[in-house]
Amino acid sequence: MPTLTIDKLTHIYPNGVRALDEVSLEIPNGLYGLLGPNGAGKSTLMRTIATLQAPTSGAIRFGDVDVIADPQALRRELGYLPQDFGVYPRVSAYDMLDHMAVLKGVASGKARRETVEHLLNQTNLWSVRKKALAGFSGGMRQRFGIAQALIGDPSLIIVDEPTAGLDPEERLRFLNLLAEIGEHVVVILSTHIVEDVSDLCPLMAIICDGRIVRQGDPLALIAELKGRTWTKALDRADVDGVRARHQVISTRLFAGRTVVHILSDGDPGEGFTPASGGLEDVYFSTLAAARKAA
Amino acid sequence: MLFFKIAGFEFRYQLRQPIFWIGAFLFALLCFGAVASSNVQIGSTDNIHKNSAYSIGLITLVMAVLYMFVMAAFVANVITRDDDSGFGAIVRSTPITKIQYLYGRFLGAFGAAALAFVSVPFGLALGSVMPWIDRETLGPFVFQNYLYAYVAFALPVLFLSGALFFTLTTLTRSMMWTYVGVIGLFVARSVFAVVISRPELKHVAAVWEPFGTGAFTAATEYWTASERNAQMPPITGDLLVNKLIWLGVAVAVLALAHLLFSFQSSERSGRSRKAAKLAAQAAAAPQIAAPSLGKLARPSFGAATTWAQLWARTRVDAVQVFRSPAFFVLLGIAALVSGLNLYFATESGIYDGKIFPVTRVMIEALRGGFTFFAVIIAIYYSGELVWRERDRKTEEIIDAAPVPNWMFIVPKTLAIALVLIATQVIAVLVAMFAQVLQGYFQFQIGDYIVWYLLPDAADFMLMAALAVVVQTLVPHKFIGWGVMVVYIIASIVLPNLGFEDNLYLYGGGPSVPLSDMNGQGRFWIGAWWFRLYWAAFALGLLVLAYGLWRRGTETRLRPRLRRLPGQLKGPAGVVLGAALVVFVGSGGFIFYNTHILNPFRTTLEGERWQADYERKFLKFETLPQPKVASVKLDIQIWPHQTRVVTHGLYVLQNRTGAPISQVHVRFPRDLAVNALRLDGGQLQSNDADFNYRIYALTTPMQPGETRNLAFVTTYEQQGFRNSGNMVRIADNGTFVNDRELSPAIGMSRDGLLEDRAKRRKYGLPAELPTPALGQPGADQFNGLSHDSDWVNADITVTTDADQTPIAPGYRASEVVADGRRTVHFVTGAPILHFFSAQSARYAVASLPYKGVDISVYYDPQHPWNVARIQNVMKAGLDYYQANFSPYQFRQVRVLEFPAPDGSFAQSFANTIPWSEGIFFIADNSDPDRVDMVTYVGAHELAHQWWAHQVIGADEQGGAALSETLAQYSAGQVMKHLYGADMMRKFLKFELDSYLRSRGGAVKQELPLEKVEDQDYIYYRKGSVVMYRLADEIGEDKVNAALRQLLHDFAFKGPPYPTMLDLMKDIRAQAPADKQGLIADLFEKITLYDIKATHAVAKKRPDGQWDLTFTVTATKLYADGLGRETPAPMNETVDVGAFDVEPGQPGYNAREVLVVQKVPIHSGAQTVTLTVAHLPRFAGVDPFNTLVDRNSEATITPVTTP
Repeated sequence: MPTLTIDKLTHIYPNGVRALDEVSLEIPNGLYGLLGPNGAGKSTLMRTIATLQAPTSGAIRFGDVDVIADPQALRRELGYLPQDFGVYPRVSAYDMLDHMAVLKGVASGKARRETVEHLLNQTNLWSVRKKALAGFSGGMRQRFGIAQALIGDPSLIIVDEPTAGLDPEERLRFLNLLAEIGEHVVVILSTHIVEDVSDLCPLMAIICDGRIVRQGDPLALIAELKGRTWTKALDRADVDGVRARHQVISTRLFAGRTVVHILSDGDPGEGFTPASGGLEDVYFSTLAAARKAA
Repeated sequence: MLFFKIAGFEFRYQLRQPIFWIGAFLFALLCFGAVASSNVQIGSTDNIHKNSAYSIGLITLVMAVLYMFVMAAFVANVITRDDDSGFGAIVRSTPITKIQYLYGRFLGAFGAAALAFVSVPFGLALGSVMPWIDRETLGPFVFQNYLYAYVAFALPVLFLSGALFFTLTTLTRSMMWTYVGVIGLFVARSVFAVVISRPELKHVAAVWEPFGTGAFTAATEYWTASERNAQMPPITGDLLVNKLIWLGVAVAVLALAHLLFSFQSSERSGRSRKAAKLAAQAAAAPQIAAPSLGKLARPSFGAATTWAQLWARTRVDAVQVFRSPAFFVLLGIAALVSGLNLYFATESGIYDGKIFPVTRVMIEALRGGFTFFAVIIAIYYSGELVWRERDRKTEEIIDAAPVPNWMFIVPKTLAIALVLIATQVIAVLVAMFAQVLQGYFQFQIGDYIVWYLLPDAADFMLMAALAVVVQTLVPHKFIGWGVMVVYIIASIVLPNLGFEDNLYLYGGGPSVPLSDMNGQGRFWIGAWWFRLYWAAFALGLLVLAYGLWRRGTETRLRPRLRRLPGQLKGPAGVVLGAALVVFVGSGGFIFYNTHILNPFRTTLEGERWQADYERKFLKFETLPQPKVASVKLDIQIWPHQTRVVTHGLYVLQNRTGAPISQVHVRFPRDLAVNALRLDGGQLQSNDADFNYRIYALTTPMQPGETRNLAFVTTYEQQGFRNSGNMVRIADNGTFVNDRELSPAIGMSRDGLLEDRAKRRKYGLPAELPTPALGQPGADQFNGLSHDSDWVNADITVTTDADQTPIAPGYRASEVVADGRRTVHFVTGAPILHFFSAQSARYAVASLPYKGVDISVYYDPQHPWNVARIQNVMKAGLDYYQANFSPYQFRQVRVLEFPAPDGSFAQSFANTIPWSEGIFFIADNSDPDRVDMVTYVGAHELAHQWWAHQVIGADEQGGAALSETLAQYSAGQVMKHLYGADMMRKFLKFELDSYLRSRGGAVKQELPLEKVEDQDYIYYRKGSVVMYRLADEIGEDKVNAALRQLLHDFAFKGPPYPTMLDLMKDIRAQAPADKQGLIADLFEKITLYDIKATHAVAKKRPDGQWDLTFTVTATKLYADGLGRETPAPMNETVDVGAFDVEPGQPGYNAREVLVVQKVPIHSGAQTVTLTVAHLPRFAGVDPFNTLVDRNSEATITPVTTP
């Protein structure tokens, strides 16, 4: 299966903001997590890969396809779920999916019907297939979004913040579906929710201020931090002191106390205990380091 | 106080919005232009000043109505913008009350809107002080007029529209419904505009029309120029009722907003509830075991897929329109408006007569009603479709789909085409439905398609294509719509400013006049060439728009422009190139046709030419010239070549007392003169630009001497013109007259510029004075032509063999050879120098009647009125021969000519051409209507006496000698056919028409005997005056006077009779006590105001009834400007009692209980009548024989005590 290669992709908006700054990535088959805070450039990157936006410079290749020179070739392999999308008024889920199937090249009646019906079942929208999309809740709409992204058996799937607005159960179903798809094709999952990545992705990258600041296997990244993260529960008043003395990764309220994670190569003392070290620590420590460097 | 703080805040917010400044600027500009530009006249005519009270009132009112489009922008989002911004929840959680919130905001926005509208009086006032304006068109500056118009007329309209739109949007939380409301209100106005043209509905419209324009029009309808200059209608009567009703409605609507507006945030609105329900439904559905992707179909990309995609995209775009509520609302309104138009289209006969709803009439009505909406649909949905994906936020999904770049603009354009064609189909269905409602079942579906559906749909497509392109360029939908509105305005304004070339007016082309006789003629050829030309241009634009299409997230124009060259490589470039080739090629062909084969002239150029003609040659007007004594014409009509070749010979005679050494020979501007020879004449000068030749005679023409003038001319059109294609020569239905084919001798005033303002604009005196009544020397020329008296005529007409050629005279010979038919016409005696030549495939109905052959030449599609025409000819011949003199011919022919030539009838010697437009399709099924065919037929036949036996001198009153006497004759024929009791409906029509016209008349009103070029006097007033004269002194006396006139002047050359001669004859017949009346009728402008009121009937012991009612009478003399002075009245007037109101449906002679003449003096008096049973109506002057300013008030219902 083809690999997605992104080389020194840079995008500068007219107002001078560097949304992407020499981003280079190599994305093989499987679920690839793109983690970053809001405004980090995730959506710009997603849209650029999805041929919706021409980069200022850099190259994107998907297998043999030069995406920038021949966007049409990529679109034929693409399934794309935008971060935020709307629907036409007065159009039912079935009709819209059917319409998208034609646009995606599934033109013959029988194949199209099978695809649409199958996807409606898969996304649990069968019972509301004749209802207008405009009346759907956020979760239902999101399920419709994934259904349309799967039409045409794409070999590159881009899902931008897909779990926003889903309830836990829906999220679980959705992620399972993604995992299954990811066995065969390239799936890029952009999110700011760490669990989405840690639960699913064999590979990931962290993007911040338009740059890739970390990438790799989440487990390996977690392993890198092993023994370097420490935690302690404090009163709120003490947080500033800790901040001044240590490299704080994150603070979080838990049962009325503030739980602080810090980064330290050795035991920092002061009652800190070794943290179990999850992807969240990787994420926050990376962000903290990136921001400090900036 | 919080309320005013909110209002003040809103007011200041609105002042910062662009709409405030744009709206104010736009309306100031419009009003400034309305006053300061000499090309625009609203409400003013020549003697109604541009800044007259009436004009200010009318313009302010019209602007207030137009302003509702701006008003919507002011008030509509006052509340909804809080929802959009999410700020609403915060605002509503403050302790503010609903009243403060709603009405404070409304007041602020309304205040800002009202302030912006001050631009209207400001623009009007500013325009009126511009130095270049013709001082004669201005009155004094009166500040109060502007203030009054603003407060009394504009503010109520603004308040109503503001309240309506505010409430609509606030309650529906949707701008769309506001637009629907705007259009609805606009439609309401249009409907009332149509309704108000029906006199019997005038009062209803005045009270109920929402903006008060109906009431304004009704209140000022009969005003004279001086009244219009000086005064505003007071807010009383219908105007007051109207204002109260609609202010009440506005307040009620505002109250409704309070009642129904939910002060909760829109989170709890229906939409989210519905979503929750659906989610529950989806959740309740049985879960499919485990999500498993399974095998999905692989896409394939080829031609089949591309077609499927094109269809799918087109379908989804078209269906979006078809399913949108706004489309149905628009179509519904369009159907309603055009339905009304279609219904009233059959009312377009003169004298309120009715015509059959033939396809041509229906199409014209559709163009008047439906087109407006089709244009709105084209523009509105072009914007909607281009922006749909972005508005609905589906663009990322759709744009990332594997479809080619053209798969956006092409389906959208196709979708709009489908929508427009569907719209047109619906228009046709509505028209056919209207035909069914009228009981007309001759559906010409092919004609609907070829005459209307295809050309108009193509034109709307051009509009839509432009809109698509504009929407692709601009950064927002609203800006695109704005650009299109500016474009529409420009396309209306530019031609008026002299930019008339359809080669640069996008989508422009010549109009295609329709006719049942002649179909589209050859007019469609040029129109479709222009359509090809503009379609190629539009295609080119669409290719560019394709190259600039927003796919993906880049919406700025500049990067898209940079991308454009790359996009145009390949097939797109080829299409663009092909479009360019067709555009240039067809443009070249059009240019050849419209600029080389045919002269290209703008209206302004035509006016300038007329002005130059006058400046150059009017000085020759009094130069003694020979007169045409006999005419021989050989007219060869080539109907399919649009050509008439005329070989002619004039015999000129010097009828002056002195030798003539110079002969001026004039031809129409575009008539080609192939040969011209005057015996003994040397061409001294030939001004080719004006087709004006001066011959010097080597030996002067002595008094009485004759000379021959031989000429060959070609009247034709090659190819097609930019506009104004020749309608006179038609494939079927040619109708030309000799003035278009042959020269005139000497300078005359025919064809000079007449409009006073235009004359002044070109530095000419406002008016060429008509020779005064009785002016010495004026009686040497008749009113028809200065270059001839009675002439011997010999006319030969040749046309294609399948057509019938006709010209004045009797058919002396007929030859068919080589596919051509030649007929030679001769007259027994000299006739007037004014001949028609016609040619068409006619059906002929001939009827011998007392030695006269009555023949009707008609198109076989229009047989309906043939018998009626024959009947009126019989009735007319009988009456005129019995009362005036013998008919001078043994034949009378009535001939149909195609509608594009006009909707008139004209009387030539024994030949009466009549338009297909009205008379041949007259529908006489309603007996309560005026029988216009009979009335007009009698009028035209009467011209065989009043013009073709006696022709008046060319001076004041001359027109009365032909037209007024023809009206009198026709009126008497009608009276004898229908009875004197039935004359009210005819006379009332004439009277109302006269009263209405005298208010808006261009030049000052003259008494009937001095009438000049004022048809409302010599036709309309003439009818009433002559009818009354006959009623007062006796029909036989009037006819005796007319016989005397005929005896003295029939068929005689100069001196020609004048109104003084007629007055002398009438006075000789009238008794002494009617001489004052004759002065009132003919020598003065006399008006009456007579009312009947308080009619009470009491039963007498003998079973009869005593009817008593009050008659209040006023008599006035008016001067030329309408200034009135009271005069004592002491006349006898009819009073009567009736079972049905005279002139109303169901009324006939049987409903007249009694009518008798009683003396009526100025002021109030009681009239008593004795009647056999209880009458329902009583009245004074019930048959409308007086020039009564308010003839409605002469009849009153009867009550019992």
